[in-house]
Amino acid sequence: MKVGDVFSYAFGGIRLRKLRAGLTTLGVVIGIAAIVALLSITQGLQTTITRQLQTGLATDTLIVTTGRGLDAGIGGGFGGTDSGFALLINDTETINELQNVETSLAIIQRTGYIQSDNKTWFTNIVGVDFAKYASIYSNTFVAESGSIPLNPGSGTVVIGKLVSAPWNNETILFNSGDTVALLWTNATARPPRNETHTSQIAAVLKEVGGFGFGGPSDSNVYIPISDAENFFGTNECDSIIVKLTNGDATTVDSVSKAISDAFDGEVSAISATAVLSLLSSVFSIIQLFLGGIAAISLLVAGIGIMNIMIVSLMERTREIGILKALGMRSRTVLLIFLCESVIIGLIGAIIGIASGWGLANVVAVFLGRGGIFMGGANQSAGTGGLTITPVLTAPLLLGALAFGVGVSVIFAIYPAWRASKLKPVEALRYE
Amino acid sequence: MTSVVAVVEAVNLEKTYMLGKVAVNALRGVNLKVETGDFVSILGPSGSGKSTLLNMIGALDKPTGGKLLVEGTDVSGLNDNQLSDLRRRIGFVFQFFNLIHRITARENVELSMSIAGVSKSERRRRAEEVLDTVGLKERMNHKPRELSGGEQQRVAIARALANDPKFFLMDEPTGNIDSKNANEIIDLVKKLNEQRSVTIIMVTHDQHLAMQTKRILQMFDGAIVKEIVT
Repeated sequence: MKVGDVFSYAFGGIRLRKLRAGLTTLGVVIGIAAIVALLSITQGLQTTITRQLQTGLATDTLIVTTGRGLDAGIGGGFGGTDSGFALLINDTETINELQNVETSLAIIQRTGYIQSDNKTWFTNIVGVDFAKYASIYSNTFVAESGSIPLNPGSGTVVIGKLVSAPWNNETILFNSGDTVALLWTNATARPPRNETHTSQIAAVLKEVGGFGFGGPSDSNVYIPISDAENFFGTNECDSIIVKLTNGDATTVDSVSKAISDAFDGEVSAISATAVLSLLSSVFSIIQLFLGGIAAISLLVAGIGIMNIMIVSLMERTREIGILKALGMRSRTVLLIFLCESVIIGLIGAIIGIASGWGLANVVAVFLGRGGIFMGGANQSAGTGGLTITPVLTAPLLLGALAFGVGVSVIFAIYPAWRASKLKPVEALRYE
Repeated sequence: MTSVVAVVEAVNLEKTYMLGKVAVNALRGVNLKVETGDFVSILGPSGSGKSTLLNMIGALDKPTGGKLLVEGTDVSGLNDNQLSDLRRRIGFVFQFFNLIHRITARENVELSMSIAGVSKSERRRRAEEVLDTVGLKERMNHKPRELSGGEQQRVAIARALANDPKFFLMDEPTGNIDSKNANEIIDLVKKLNEQRSVTIIMVTHDQHLAMQTKRILQMFDGAIVKEIVT
């Protein structure tokens, strides 16, 4: 029997049992859709986060924070330490003396509010040296309106694009030239008290689009470091950004080590590339985990296929007997059954990929709208948040297709083998 | 007439089934010779072994003793694939028609040719030809359920004819058809035998039907006990 004839005969068999074949296929569709949706969203998320990190990412910058760094895990790296050690604003002087360091800059930040008239917006108040910040982040610390004073007087503030226009439309909350009050709550004071600092908006930053590694963010406001010292009542800083003379891996490593040594191992210097590679390995684990969960649903679909095929085999025993009496070889009977599973797997995988892709896009829209991922502290609900574009790579597409067909075929092997082993005389007698 | 190879030749053919732990001797030494153009009926009560014999001749089952030669080839020496290939050259007609219900009459006829690897265009042409022979050309696009018993059996005969078989094997071909249609089927079969020299071996318990054939082999208890030449 010719291959094409085997295929069309198998297809005829499926067409006869439309509902049942449809339900069987649905199992594959759900499994594949789950795999495609989960993995393409994860991949999209990774791409988005990586891209946002890379916006204004410079391989020649390090971020120095207290703690033992990435090696001790994310908590150790980004959380504080228990040793009571704190970085001071003038620690930049120590760092500036190290080899291969071009310059460094201290950052103090607190969450607070920006207010004018009856408008209040939740934001991150960041104290930096405007001139140094502008030189390190020359592409992103750029004014869209107004101008950034390089030698600012007290009471100057530069605001991010999303603080000025949180909904990305004509509604402007704060603009250049406005006089605003910045507020934060000093919770360590006894009793806690609200601090206010009046400033005039010197500039609104050009949209950055990402959350650059240590760099400017659309949802922050920036005040001169000296103002921040007074306003926040501290000479400790949260982090120090270090600009290196070059971005070579050896330079990055040697300076990281030198900084750590200079502070007796109480600080760690993290490079953007280290963050990216950590992120990438975290995402690999997430993908493996989510893919595994989705694969289980496909396994269930496979068992469904096997179940249906065994039922179908019993119903068609007589038909198989006829085919054998007409001279069909056992191997051809086997092929017909396997072909049916290939068709189910193929159709299921194609529909599954399409619906998984659709689902991923719908979910991405919701994630973007709700700003779930980035909406947290920096932005109130309703802002642009994170836009995830699901990514369907060729390996994912082909892998899903192969997996769908593969699972179907594997679970059809046993029923197909049983069908092929039927004895014609007995099969013909079967009622 | 020397060296003429019989279409079917059974020599001391035996078949023993295991029914649970009991051995059933369905065939106990059958001797039989069918030559080209023969029209043989095997007559006997149920349980006499006639269906078993038909299954052996049809290569649906293997004998457990003796020899069965189909065109000179011993069936018991053939493997599964060879048996399948042999079946393609045998025209089966069953009591219950054994058509595939989800496809049309013509597709049923084409199916047997498709199994034999005949090309699509040739299948189509040949299917129409044999359906015309059995007088069903007008109804060839109907599915079996839309046809009467007699028509279904004619489709089965057309299907058997399609691959130009060495011989026909008929198992109670009129057993499930009313008498009027049964007569038409018999006339058709006789015509095929007389006009086209199609060799036919038919199993029946219907004496009247057996009388229409050229030779009657009377079976009883797993052996041929009498031969009548009509």
